[in-house]
Amino acid sequence: MFNMADIIRLIFRIIDKLPITLTIMIASLFLGLLLGLLLAAVKIKQSRIPNAIVTVYVSFMRCTPPLVQLFLVFYGLPQLLMLFNININDWDPVIFAIITFSMNSAAFLSEVMRSAYLAVDRGQQEAALSVGMSNIQSFISIILPQAFGIALPNLGNNLIILLKETSLAFTIGITDIMGQVNIICANSQGVNQLEIYLIIALIYWVICIAIEKGIAFLEHNYTRGHIGIAS
Amino acid sequence: MNFDIDFAIRTFPTVLKAAPMTLLIAVISMLLGLLLGFLITLCRMYKVPVLNKLAALYVSFIRGTPLLVQIYVIFFGLPTFINYLNQAMNWHIPVNNISPLVFALFAFTLNTTAYQSETIRSALSAVDGGQMEAAYSVGMTTLQSFTRIIIPQALVVALPNFGNIFLGLIKGTSLAFAVRVVEILAVAKIEAGDGYKYLEMYLDASIIYWIMCFLFEKLFILLENRLKRYKIEITT
Repeated sequence: MFNMADIIRLIFRIIDKLPITLTIMIASLFLGLLLGLLLAAVKIKQSRIPNAIVTVYVSFMRCTPPLVQLFLVFYGLPQLLMLFNININDWDPVIFAIITFSMNSAAFLSEVMRSAYLAVDRGQQEAALSVGMSNIQSFISIILPQAFGIALPNLGNNLIILLKETSLAFTIGITDIMGQVNIICANSQGVNQLEIYLIIALIYWVICIAIEKGIAFLEHNYTRGHIGIAS
Repeated sequence: MNFDIDFAIRTFPTVLKAAPMTLLIAVISMLLGLLLGFLITLCRMYKVPVLNKLAALYVSFIRGTPLLVQIYVIFFGLPTFINYLNQAMNWHIPVNNISPLVFALFAFTLNTTAYQSETIRSALSAVDGGQMEAAYSVGMTTLQSFTRIIIPQALVVALPNFGNIFLGLIKGTSLAFAVRVVEILAVAKIEAGDGYKYLEMYLDASIIYWIMCFLFEKLFILLENRLKRYKIEITT
């Protein structure tokens, strides 16, 4: 068993790489939300050809493993852009990871946003239009806050899944917290693997608790005045 | 890089034979997780005194730790726990011949329960509180109002998110190899190990996963359209 000083040193070595994990996660979340919003809007509108394209995209992104997608983007995108004489071989691998994870999470987030938008009663928009708001005003002031409040628990689910997916980034050479753990295990010839994996599991749990607290705070703000079925 | 397409086509049926096992684990875990997730959500929504905090801790722990870690904990911990129960309560549950499928189902059910409880919580909170009050006012019990009024409305909101979770579960079953359950990716690795033809086998496995997921996506869309009928509007 380890002693306390070794454990503390290990934890600091791992937390050293935490900014990289958080960068990948937050950037992927932000871009994924934007793209997911677009995809959800297309699926709600249901015009023929864009709907078909979006359905195929969402199906592919949700049904294939993220590792396969990561390799496709990391090895395939430079080759694809080479056809247009754009050389991106010296880009930071973090950018490839962000591209992959944002495309992947956009597919899942589009379903989350679609279900949340459709859950808001149509009567809310009718009432907003009847007092003279425009479509955009009714969307931003009335529908969006309610839809956001409904989407929040599912958003938390997907955010936590995104956090765990970033552990795949080691396979393309990024040293994030999981990558650091693999390096430590390799350097110590597998001596203290159980302790190290327990530590990394705890670190992931702490980050997840932080995410849950954030989601709970947002939920408190966005479901204010909402009367639920539990009296 | 030579890609042995003959090998890929020849061993496709072998990998396909493991598809029912993957489906079995995914579907049973999903259904059991639905039931347990509903119970956990009820504890949290109605703020049952002790179970409320326990449920929140459970959801936080299961979502916060990796699935593989949970599978190993169940694999090594469940026999010990059953032995303890056998001694404490004088039962005689056989420990030594537990099929690895039981471990896999246990671990996947516990895992998906946590994610589904959040989805169910979001879906139930999307239903207006007035529905419950109206149900009470015509004399329904809570159970009747849930089954006849609330759940049909909540199910429409929840279905796309259940689809997300189920597709994640199908991909997650590939970890069941860690407890010696022979499912799709396990067969792919075994077949590939002979001649180190990993790329061909992973391609086969990916195609089968994609077809399976695609079929289930269609199923979920069908279900959603069928359940959305009560929402037919006159104006858009």
